[in-house]
Amino acid sequence: MSGGRTLSWDWYPGEIPENVIVDETAYVETTFSFHLYRSRAPQGIVMGRGASAYLGTMFDVGPNGRVSLGAYALVHGARIICDREIVIGDFALISWNVVLMDSHRLSFDRERRREELRRVARTDGRRLEGGGECRPVRIGRNVWIGFDVCVLPGVTIGEGAVVGARSVVTEDVRPFTVVAGNPAHFVRELDSTTSHE
Amino acid sequence: MSDANHPVSGGRWLDGELPANVSVGDGSILTADYAFKRFRSRAGRALVIGGHCTMDGVHFALGEKGTVRIGDHCYFTNAVLLCERELVIGDYVVIGWNTTIADTDFHPLAPAERIADAVACSPLGKGRPRPGIECRPVVIEDDVWIGPNATILKGVRIGTGAFIEAGALVTRDVPARARVLGNPAVVVGEMP
Repeated sequence: MSGGRTLSWDWYPGEIPENVIVDETAYVETTFSFHLYRSRAPQGIVMGRGASAYLGTMFDVGPNGRVSLGAYALVHGARIICDREIVIGDFALISWNVVLMDSHRLSFDRERRREELRRVARTDGRRLEGGGECRPVRIGRNVWIGFDVCVLPGVTIGEGAVVGARSVVTEDVRPFTVVAGNPAHFVRELDSTTSHE
Repeated sequence: MSDANHPVSGGRWLDGELPANVSVGDGSILTADYAFKRFRSRAGRALVIGGHCTMDGVHFALGEKGTVRIGDHCYFTNAVLLCERELVIGDYVVIGWNTTIADTDFHPLAPAERIADAVACSPLGKGRPRPGIECRPVVIEDDVWIGPNATILKGVRIGTGAFIEAGALVTRDVPARARVLGNPAVVVGEMP
């Protein structure tokens, strides 16, 4: 893929970066979503069959970050803060203003944080480059995440789970359960039958 | 934009001319064309930003009497600063994406006063005085780190080195070096 891929319907004069793999059946609303993208991984983002990323989705992916969206995954305006790995499963539905983060991007040690803030102020791009521990985030197949939710580093959300609007998910969520609240807590079980045929 | 190590000198707003009552220290940059869309302060030195700060997409929504002080080496991403009176932020403060800080509730609590306020704020309320509205300064001390999607409400003082987790809603003072989480935010641990 060279020569730059643009989108005929795009309002933003950008391109899809070379190491972003978009299935021919997947949809990207605007290349503004890659405004903060700086991954140098061979495949920084992989969008599967029928996956979509709508307006407001921001792939804030650091140099070593890798993000994957499974088949039919629908991301409707999430901030994906990824310095290592964020996996979004097939059929996942992710609402607006959601934050998925695999790193806090800075050290919890005050002196190291200060050092990074002094460094970043000397750069033109002003992008924080780590110092923070990375712990992958995994959003399972068929998960539904409501608006304004934050998913913190290291969290795995099991298959079929639902996260209520405005929740902050601090620990793993069991498959086929509903969680809600800040911090998020178990609300109830869901039917784990996933076949709809 | 590149990550080249070019020193930046002289504070500036990349998307326009700074208002006259705003001062920005050396090596600090502000971005976003909307940064001052809601800036109405007539205070002499309404907004003072120190040196070597990054104010990326920050909304400076200051009321007529609002004053905001921000120290050196701060890093804010798409924060919304709503200030009717006073907001004081120290050095090395980090504020994550889509965090809101407000030193006022914007409207009175008492129902009758709120009706008067609704009328005064309406297109028919031209010139009608608004009832008194509670404002209490917000103070954020040095080395505080606030995660994305957090909310800090009026009158709160956040002690030096505290960490506010993503999505937390802070309604009370936070002790120095505490880690807080939740709605309402509670202390869940300590910073190293």
